[in-house]
Amino acid sequence: MGNAELVAMMLADGRLPTGGHTQSGGLEPAVRAGLGADGKQLADVAAYARDRLRTTTRVEAAVAVVTLCGTNVAPDDENVPQNPDTVALVEAAWAARVPSHVVRGVSRRQGRLLLRLARRVWPDVSTYLPNDGEIARPVVLGVVGAVTGLSAEQVARTIAYDDAQTVIAASLKLLPVDPADAATWLAGLHDDIEWLVKDVASLTRIDEIPADGAPLIDVFAHNHAIERMRLFHA
Amino acid sequence: MPTRIEVVADPVRDRCLLTTDHLSPRQLPGADGVVRVALVAAGALLLAGDDVRIEIAVSGAVRLEIVETAGTVAYGMRGGSARWDIDIRLTDGASLQWYAEPFVVSADAEVTRTTTARLATGCTAHLRESLVLGRHGETGGVLRTATRAWLGEDLLLAEDLDLSPETRTGWAVLGTNRCLDTVTTLGFRLPDDPQTLQLEGPGSIARRLVQEQHQSTLNHPVSAS
Repeated sequence: MGNAELVAMMLADGRLPTGGHTQSGGLEPAVRAGLGADGKQLADVAAYARDRLRTTTRVEAAVAVVTLCGTNVAPDDENVPQNPDTVALVEAAWAARVPSHVVRGVSRRQGRLLLRLARRVWPDVSTYLPNDGEIARPVVLGVVGAVTGLSAEQVARTIAYDDAQTVIAASLKLLPVDPADAATWLAGLHDDIEWLVKDVASLTRIDEIPADGAPLIDVFAHNHAIERMRLFHA
Repeated sequence: MPTRIEVVADPVRDRCLLTTDHLSPRQLPGADGVVRVALVAAGALLLAGDDVRIEIAVSGAVRLEIVETAGTVAYGMRGGSARWDIDIRLTDGASLQWYAEPFVVSADAEVTRTTTARLATGCTAHLRESLVLGRHGETGGVLRTATRAWLGEDLLLAEDLDLSPETRTGWAVLGTNRCLDTVTTLGFRLPDDPQTLQLEGPGSIARRLVQEQHQSTLNHPVSAS
């Protein structure tokens, strides 16, 4: 087991070969629909990332935290029961909370990339996950967190930071954004990220996972899935 | 006491037990194997302090069709709030079709609206929910929705929407749209369409986010269940 802090940094690093550069967190179809049109109201990018933190990303972070809790190899709390089916149960709970097959497909493809890397880097994940397969990314990340000793806060923060940075980094390729502005937006989201971390870190049960939806994100994801010319996968 | 529609399939004559509260269910003529019920408001709706609960229980090989005669307007509540809770239970092969009329949340209204559906395996439900934030030319009030649906033992759908003015207007929830028109099927799927969400289990969501309710293209049942 390595240093948990360094593992969390690795997982949040866009240079980790898990295909993070192919994702815009739904920003590309939102831009196509008019976000930041004509280079105006570019700060809407940050507002969009914040809306995600309060809805879909909150659900993802909770899924990762509950996965971590259910698969923790060295549980701090003996009162939390260990269930060998945790991964399947949490994945099913996640799937019921993500109504769009397109959005589920994107997460599972990302989860597969992370899984294939993780089984080489942290082979202990094989105790809980198959060697290959399309599993929701937050579930895979929760298992990686469990076998590397991450705390619930670290796992939630990784999901939240990664999502916000995905949106904001993509804005540099989609809109005439000054990179220093982008970094300022990300710093401005720290309070929202920490709010999310505090909100979900104590969750232990599957039925406590929030179910916040974002209908417009679903609409954009479906538009993007049939778009011929696109820069990002999603 | 909740408003309640209880239907039990019977080889001679399907039994239909109707209980009036905030809404009054009235049976309409229906074809064999179909029980049609109109939901009519029994008084002024929806006002601060109203706690509307509608229970639907259908059992056996029968199809319940609920018809609404008018939309519902939640009026300004001056700091108060109201609830609208729907509880659906389908067993033994029952099916339900409920194409609800628009639910309009006026300025200064605050409404919590929940839909809970428990379907035994083999049952189907076909539901429409048209949420309109504000009457014409008005910024609508606060609406929070929670939807939970089970098919057999499995959770099929869980979705909470915070449609309060400050959260709905960004690029994630509603944008500048005023109306969220949704057709949800449980127990069966709608035909594939680029804009139709296919649930993980057997079920679908077809949605239109529009400025005016009549612009929605979901006005008629997309396919018979």
